[in-house]
Amino acid sequence: MADDSPASHRRDPIKSSVGNVAAQRRRQNAVMVGKERRESLVRAKRLCRVGPSGEVDVPVEENDMVTDEEEFLLEAQTSSAVEELKSAIAYQRLLSKSEFPPVEAALKAGAIPLLVQCLSFGSQDEQLLEAAWCLTNIAAGKPEETKALLPALPLLIAHLGEKSSLPVAEQCAWALGNVAGEGEELRNVLLSQGALPPLARMMLPNKGSTVRTSAWALSNLIKGPDPKAATELIKVDGVLDAILRHLRKSDEELATEVAWVVVYLSALSNYATGVLVKSDVLHLLVERLATSNSLQLLIPVLRSLGNLVAGDSHTTSTVLVPGHEITDGVIKVLVKCLKSEHRVLKKEASWVLSNIAAGSVEHKQLIYSSEAVPLLLRLLSTAPFDIRKEVAYVLGNLCVAPTGHDGKPTLIQEHLVSLVQRGCLSGFIDLVRSADIEAARLGLQFMELVLRGLPNGEGPKLVEREDGIDAMERYQFHENEDLRNMANGLVDKYFGEDYGVDE
Amino acid sequence: MEWNPETLQFLSQCFLHTLSPQPEPRRAAESSLSEAAGRPNYGLAVLRLVAEPSVDEQIRQAAAVNFKNHLRTRWVPSNDPNDDPAFSPILEPEKDQIKTLIVSLMLSASPRIQSQLSEALAVIGKHDFPKSWPTLLPELVSNLQKAAQSADYASINGILGTANSIFKKFRYQYKTNDLLLDLKYCLDNFAAPLLEIFLRTASLIDSTAASAGGGSPVTLRPLFESQRLCCRIFYSLNFQELPEFFEDHMREWMGEFKKYLTTNYPSVESSADGLALVDELRAAVCENISLYMEKNEEEFQGYLNDFASAVWSLLTTVSLSSSRDKLAVTAMKFLTTVSTSVHHTLFANEGVIPQICQSIVIPNVRLRDEDEEVFEMNYVEFIRRDMEGSDLDTRRRIACELLKGIATNYKKQVMDIVSIQIQNLLSSFAANPSANWKDKDCAIYLVVSLATKKAGGTSVSTDLVDVQNFFASVIVPELQSQDVNGFPMLKAGAIKFFTMFRGHIQKPVVFQLFPDLVRFLGAESNVVHSYAANCIEKLLLVKEEGGNARYTSSDITPYVLVLMNNLFTALKFPESEENQYVMKCIMRVLGTAEISSEIAAPCIGGLTSILNEVCKNPKSPIFNHYLFESVAILIRKACERDASLVSAFEASLFPSLQTILSNDVTEFLPYAFQLFALLVELNRPPISPNYMQIFMLLLSPDSWKRSSNVPALVRLLQAFLQKAPHELNQEGRLSQVLGIFNMLVLSPSTDEQGFYVLNTVIENLEFGVLSPYMSNIWNVLFRRLQDRRTVKFQKSLVIFMSLFLVKHGATNLVNTMNAVQANIFLVILEQFWIPTLKLITGKIELKLTAVASIRLLCESPVLLDASVARLWGKMLDSIVTLISRPEQERVQEETTEMPDIAENVGYTATFVKLYNAGKREDDPLADIQDPKQFIIASLATLSARSPGRYPQIITENLEQANQEALHALCSNYNCTIV
Repeated sequence: MADDSPASHRRDPIKSSVGNVAAQRRRQNAVMVGKERRESLVRAKRLCRVGPSGEVDVPVEENDMVTDEEEFLLEAQTSSAVEELKSAIAYQRLLSKSEFPPVEAALKAGAIPLLVQCLSFGSQDEQLLEAAWCLTNIAAGKPEETKALLPALPLLIAHLGEKSSLPVAEQCAWALGNVAGEGEELRNVLLSQGALPPLARMMLPNKGSTVRTSAWALSNLIKGPDPKAATELIKVDGVLDAILRHLRKSDEELATEVAWVVVYLSALSNYATGVLVKSDVLHLLVERLATSNSLQLLIPVLRSLGNLVAGDSHTTSTVLVPGHEITDGVIKVLVKCLKSEHRVLKKEASWVLSNIAAGSVEHKQLIYSSEAVPLLLRLLSTAPFDIRKEVAYVLGNLCVAPTGHDGKPTLIQEHLVSLVQRGCLSGFIDLVRSADIEAARLGLQFMELVLRGLPNGEGPKLVEREDGIDAMERYQFHENEDLRNMANGLVDKYFGEDYGVDE
Repeated sequence: MEWNPETLQFLSQCFLHTLSPQPEPRRAAESSLSEAAGRPNYGLAVLRLVAEPSVDEQIRQAAAVNFKNHLRTRWVPSNDPNDDPAFSPILEPEKDQIKTLIVSLMLSASPRIQSQLSEALAVIGKHDFPKSWPTLLPELVSNLQKAAQSADYASINGILGTANSIFKKFRYQYKTNDLLLDLKYCLDNFAAPLLEIFLRTASLIDSTAASAGGGSPVTLRPLFESQRLCCRIFYSLNFQELPEFFEDHMREWMGEFKKYLTTNYPSVESSADGLALVDELRAAVCENISLYMEKNEEEFQGYLNDFASAVWSLLTTVSLSSSRDKLAVTAMKFLTTVSTSVHHTLFANEGVIPQICQSIVIPNVRLRDEDEEVFEMNYVEFIRRDMEGSDLDTRRRIACELLKGIATNYKKQVMDIVSIQIQNLLSSFAANPSANWKDKDCAIYLVVSLATKKAGGTSVSTDLVDVQNFFASVIVPELQSQDVNGFPMLKAGAIKFFTMFRGHIQKPVVFQLFPDLVRFLGAESNVVHSYAANCIEKLLLVKEEGGNARYTSSDITPYVLVLMNNLFTALKFPESEENQYVMKCIMRVLGTAEISSEIAAPCIGGLTSILNEVCKNPKSPIFNHYLFESVAILIRKACERDASLVSAFEASLFPSLQTILSNDVTEFLPYAFQLFALLVELNRPPISPNYMQIFMLLLSPDSWKRSSNVPALVRLLQAFLQKAPHELNQEGRLSQVLGIFNMLVLSPSTDEQGFYVLNTVIENLEFGVLSPYMSNIWNVLFRRLQDRRTVKFQKSLVIFMSLFLVKHGATNLVNTMNAVQANIFLVILEQFWIPTLKLITGKIELKLTAVASIRLLCESPVLLDASVARLWGKMLDSIVTLISRPEQERVQEETTEMPDIAENVGYTATFVKLYNAGKREDDPLADIQDPKQFIIASLATLSARSPGRYPQIITENLEQANQEALHALCSNYNCTIV
């Protein structure tokens, strides 16, 4: 494992006492358990509603539900349509009739081998297009339906090549994107069959819809968790330039798809991250963040920015240097996101800030004196839990400075004192009370800073006043040994009974 | 071990005999089993026996238990050297076979055997699942689906129980990529089958409950158990974050959850254990929705209102019932989570808070029969919960947590309402004190529990009531009540209040009540006399602003006789014979009061008779610790006042201490040695011959082999060396002591103890006495350096050489070393001293080695020679590193330097220091305040003698950073190196 695997996010092992507030950049975990937070526009699989020739006007039901009766009817029609398949168009109409196309019936009737046959070389463009279109919509279905495309994959990939007409290539890319969206297993099949290079090349020209579709398909294809595909993609000649070009010039819809590609590149591959941060991409992301109000665009752009900050120290040490114009720009757009109505933006912006705040003392000072701090303080006391946790990482990081090579941070007393004066301690103590053990650890670590770092022994008094002793005592018998030792150690050290005092 | 009829016969016989009431065959069977357990395939054979239908069920059960324990110790044997004999691990092929067999065997077993095998499976899972056991989850899932087809709930619940235990790790481990990978694997394989079985069981419950008479309890019970297990698995799988599958199917889960909170199942719930069963399911549901509320409130939002009202109405019923604790607690926790979330406005509506207070909080805070029972039957447990914070899961505490939760956003409303409630409770008490005493208890509990904790462990403050007023009007009447045994719970509550608010009560008031506290030591209730002792003990620790104790010896001396008398009497109450609160109070009083001989005499009598008693069977470590502390402080204070008392103490204590030594009461040996040391120190030479017998123990290598004894033995050796150096120097005893050093220092596991002995000798004896032994000592050390060189040893060596130097001078050091081998000193210096010096940690050690090193540089002719200028410079470089850089920069992975002296008071292998028998830690260089200053001044003086010489050596040999640091130090101390 060279440098090409996602760094697992580990902090210093906590030794005897309490250890340090994060003080290290945190990547998002590479393993996804939760639902992918992408808006419907960019969801993993998409139906293609409008037929390839554009002439078929398919009525879409207002109500997405299909009644049983209709479904039955559709199924019957499907079987007969497949029977006489020369007319892929008939089938195509049926498939696109509703939110839930009668894919199952089509598969049962043996549609796939017929469609594969239609894809064979030498077929007319019209026929290719229609077959690919059908496959696209079959692939948009349930997992086993997507899997049914396996025999068709080599041909779909083959039609991505330069010799195909653009509409055919695009339709094939769409179908493949749906397949890649299904999961790791099918992604690996596609990668081993060589789907990546031709898809990547489709991103190079300035053809709006083709680029959009291929970027979307690529973002599905490189999702990992193996970083290899992402690394391979950034190495394809011209891809980096294309990404930059599209981010600079395209409309928001296209920029959104490209930004998702950047998200996965930067989330998974250290190599790609290294390449990206040395390009102009940070400027472009900041620019987009400053000028757009589209939530769908802002999410991947912000996520990309965060990945670049978290993934490569070059970003904070060389690009986002305090004093550079771009650094002020970044802070400004993050403040904008913190102010936004949208929960996701607030959360991700806090995450990015927490990673910048893990940088040098100058970075901390910059954030500390920015407009972000009052916003963060308010969020810490009023926001939902997940945002509060991210905010707490920012504020915690503002209070510790790294010293030298062993990475053990020391206090920045000025920040600590002022943030505590402005009331952040109770927010951290609430985290200690939460069921989330990461948050609880963070809360305890901050409490340790307060206990140790406030002048004149004010710390213990403050913690006491905010009912922090009670919060810590909850961990007396906690199952997580680390937290238990931290909390018990703090209580003993700062609030222990006087034992054995004689005179 | 091969599986054949003989093995079957052998094992069956053994397990049968392990059940025998006769000790002889039982022990024999146990020992042949433990011998057989070391053989390959033993585990497999036992598992086969468990599965053998022809064998008697009783034998198979015993075998199942044995199998589980066998896996516990041997699946992955512990590496901890403190653990008893190292077990041979089970080999891979055997493991594989066990893993292949266990699931199906578990599922087909009878309930009792099933539960043992399920635990055994969990043991394997803990180490092997999922990566080294990829077949487990698919096997469980396919069996689950099979069992579901035939509605075989014995198997279903066995599988779910197993899954539940292997998934538990997701509840408390940190989120790492590895953990998430495991979680994802479990979700991919189990999330869908879990939902399937949950829904299937749910509909079975619905249809059964809808049938005539609400369905048969026999049918329904396993179904509820099954649902509970599903809920617990839900909790584990959802703990880290909300998985996609669960988000997609939230509606299905939440629908059933709500049903269980809002539906009654009379046919099951009509029996107490049936109700408990359904309540457990409900409690599990409450935990799940609390988790969602806290961590996924956005996705959960749509269900919140329904659940809040369901939980509320459930609580209104449950709060009135005296059992149903678990459900009451989890349900209140859910409301607490809501109250502190962004959706707290649910509580903002007019009338909500008063109603919660009235119908949920007060009923749950009120004492229930169970509380009274614990109060009477198990006072230790009652105190643990009531006073020491182990009440995190009691209804009383959680009800108060709910109030605190609501108060985060609605402080004023809560305070107002609670104040009113308290007034109401007190008026109700006033109207009929003997009938309504629980109302008063409830009021006191509310005030104490809602107070904010303060430093010092148990002190508090509140803005709920005016403390002085409340104390005077509510608490004092209880304390002054003449009947110490009437309404004991109310008395306990009042004393607890006094203890908690002790800092707020003024000194004259306390004095007025002090005789009452002393009186309550005589209460029959264990809780009451414990609380009285605890209150007195805590009062004696109260400090004024400046840090001085508020209550001094002159304050309490007038009461001491009666106080001590009552304390010793309290120890005679049944079950209070080893009451730690009373003993701690004795220790504290002895520490505070003036100890005249009138007091000393009865105390020493009382304490020794207790000591004799506990020696027979030491069981309560905390009690015993305070007992020894009390003895130590009594000896010290009484003898310091009146040295003639020493012999009286010796007379009464020696028999007990002798018993400890001769019966080898392991737990007490360190204490005994410390008490001996204290007595030796208080003796005037010549030392009584009695002690020489003890001294012989010091010379026995066995005493030193137990690491828990070593610090105490060192202490005792120090005392002897200081008080009786002549005795040591007779009859070859010194060489015996050095023999012990020799033995200990040769092994890396005991070398530190060896240095303790050596350092004590070096520090306390004259050079003239030592010099004949020095060659031998150096030889031992050099040999060890050659054979087993560890960093820890090298550090100890540098510390020893430094100590030798400051005690006996640089010349003696150099000469005795070179006497072993010509010029070895410079070799040791270059190869060990200089590089190791930088690694020294510990304040005293750092000071000692730094000062010794600079003295070597400035005083030793060997080093002042121009030919060794480079060494001189390197040594200085190390010294500057040592004194100018923080520890964590100098030292990489610090291995434990001192024997592990844990602070906890359990006493198997750890040494427990008696505070009151201790000496201040010795600083061999007490006259040097600031080592840095000493070092810089020495350098300046030295350089002044040969100007121009040293700056050059410094430039040539010191790291740049160290040159700068040295420069800074010089200007700091106003010195120059010329």
